[in-house]
Amino acid sequence: MPAGRPAPVALTCGDPSGIGPEIAVTARAALGADLSFVWIGDPRHLPEGAPWAEVATPDGAHDVPAGVLPVLRHDFPAPACPGAPDPANAAGIVAVIARAVDLVQSGAAGAVCTAPINKLGLKKGAGFAFPGHTEFLAHLAGVRRVVMMLACPELRVVPATIHIPLAEVPQALTPDLLEDTLRITHAALIRDFGIAAPRIAVTGLNPHAGEGGAMGHEEAALIAPVLDRLRAEGMNLRGPLPADTMFHAGARATYDAAVAMYHDQALIPIKTIDFSGGVNLTLGLPFIRTSPDHGTAYDIAGRGLADASSLIAALDMAHRMAAARGD
Amino acid sequence: MNTKAPQAALERPVLALVPGDPTGIGPELVARVLADGRMQEVARLLLIGDQRVVEMGMRQAGVSLHLALIDTPDEAVFDTGTVPMIDLGNLDPATFAIGRPDPDVGRKVGDTLAAAVRLAQAGGVRGVTFAPLHKKAMFDGGWRFPDEHQLFAHLIGHNGLFREMNVLEGQWMSRVTSHVSLREALDLVTEDNICNSLRLTDRVLRAAGIEAPRIAVAALNPHGGEGGLFGREEIEIIAPAIARMQAEGIDCRGPYPSDTVYIKAFKGEFDSVVAMYHDQGQIATKLHGFNKGVTVTAGLPIVFTTPAHGTAYDIVGQGIADTGAMESAIRLAARLATRQNQTIEETA
Repeated sequence: MPAGRPAPVALTCGDPSGIGPEIAVTARAALGADLSFVWIGDPRHLPEGAPWAEVATPDGAHDVPAGVLPVLRHDFPAPACPGAPDPANAAGIVAVIARAVDLVQSGAAGAVCTAPINKLGLKKGAGFAFPGHTEFLAHLAGVRRVVMMLACPELRVVPATIHIPLAEVPQALTPDLLEDTLRITHAALIRDFGIAAPRIAVTGLNPHAGEGGAMGHEEAALIAPVLDRLRAEGMNLRGPLPADTMFHAGARATYDAAVAMYHDQALIPIKTIDFSGGVNLTLGLPFIRTSPDHGTAYDIAGRGLADASSLIAALDMAHRMAAARGD
Repeated sequence: MNTKAPQAALERPVLALVPGDPTGIGPELVARVLADGRMQEVARLLLIGDQRVVEMGMRQAGVSLHLALIDTPDEAVFDTGTVPMIDLGNLDPATFAIGRPDPDVGRKVGDTLAAAVRLAQAGGVRGVTFAPLHKKAMFDGGWRFPDEHQLFAHLIGHNGLFREMNVLEGQWMSRVTSHVSLREALDLVTEDNICNSLRLTDRVLRAAGIEAPRIAVAALNPHGGEGGLFGREEIEIIAPAIARMQAEGIDCRGPYPSDTVYIKAFKGEFDSVVAMYHDQGQIATKLHGFNKGVTVTAGLPIVFTTPAHGTAYDIVGQGIADTGAMESAIRLAARLATRQNQTIEETA
């Protein structure tokens, strides 16, 4: 890329009958021209009267005035009816994600930011066989293991297990999974966040991190040995720590990221700290991927009520991570 | 205040005040609270412990108290400028160091709590408020209970239901399972256990003066199970329990995904959240400053309250410890003991 013109972030349209199109317009207005991104989708799906301009490549977004949404056109077979997903558009939604990945892998885009999709709708309409964006992106990139991180200005947190029943968590937590999660998190903190010597705090699985075996054995049998092994390689890891005393401001100041053992152990603190501004990141892909931490919000789509703050945070984070990686 | 005292004395319950683990900030908290005298308005406080520990607390806090040593609660005289105390003479500050846990001290702290429980059982006090304990020191000292609530139930010989509750600014947080491994907690999330927790929560909130308690019930699985995709406990266990309790007239709702249910409660939509397991409730409430709140042992025939914070070894002995949660614990014990007393009289 020529100096001074970083590759823009590629933002997918997501489900066009959800709030994706309208929050893209709001985000462009809020972010001005400094943070360059290009929206990939069908301009017919944008709110009526929203200012947009077609570009031929992501780089063209740099020449579009502030307040006008740069659009990389991707035509869909059907218009979008807010709140009522049309199966005819399912294949287009999937194709836009694949196109964004192509752009970032070729270097034309600096990062991918994805707007929300409805997994069930894509399964019905396009035979989409993945549980979500994350797995589809891993498939497109050809990687075996990826990690979900949730980030807001006050906290970065990674759940080692994600969308499984809590009863399956103890079995799902294996030394391999934990080690991969820690390695991927550690590498991303260095490469994407510019932290030279990352400090990672790791929760226990049980109350009080097992309290020396009185309330569970996974800490001693599983978590501590993995941490010891990685510490021997020079990683700065603390834990396993009691999860309930790990997330207040004083504790957060002592680490760059927290790794939790299950979904709600990570989601409860971040939603309590920052309900709307949280950003969802996928680590372990060969490219940067962020997304807002909410769904399609069919119930309010098209009514001008959607809050774009999480998307704005996601675009901003993608932009800053791309810059860190470029340095 | 003196003019009000005689009449108010009739309503103000006698509470045992225990200095907690003396290696921590308990003694200075107790000394300062008694010296300030504000708690006279809500309770008549009777100290139980070692006189020398209280004197150490006075030195730490830079206050002085006149202690009137007595043998039994009926010798206690209140509102005279002196503080009645039952001196157990069991904990000499010369024998331990402050600022670190000591199993020998933990054992004697347990002995002191046991003595307070006996006072309450004999009718001498209506409730017990204690300064922070060190759970591990007590455990290592021979009181082999995961928490003090189970110790109290044991001392009383209580076989029925009881739960720890955490209280701050009108929010009463409880949970179906507590100090057990996550695997065990999963086995204990049963319809009956949830129903019992909801009944107890409703009863305690009513006892605390909340006329129509609104209780939220947390889900167990991510996204509340997402319609069965990430677990079926919400459908098969939690929702049926909620329906049963609603039929009994309890205003309980849910199950709500646990990453947002506390946010709803803190906004005022509910008076209480019943969590399924320890960290679910504790992560959100501690982030919300619940260490400034009060921990209550709910369901026992004796009222027990304590500040939710710990022994604060980092500031012990400096006289700077904040007494806010300790005072809240006394106020709450007084409120619960008064109403419990009224309830007993009404039903008698």
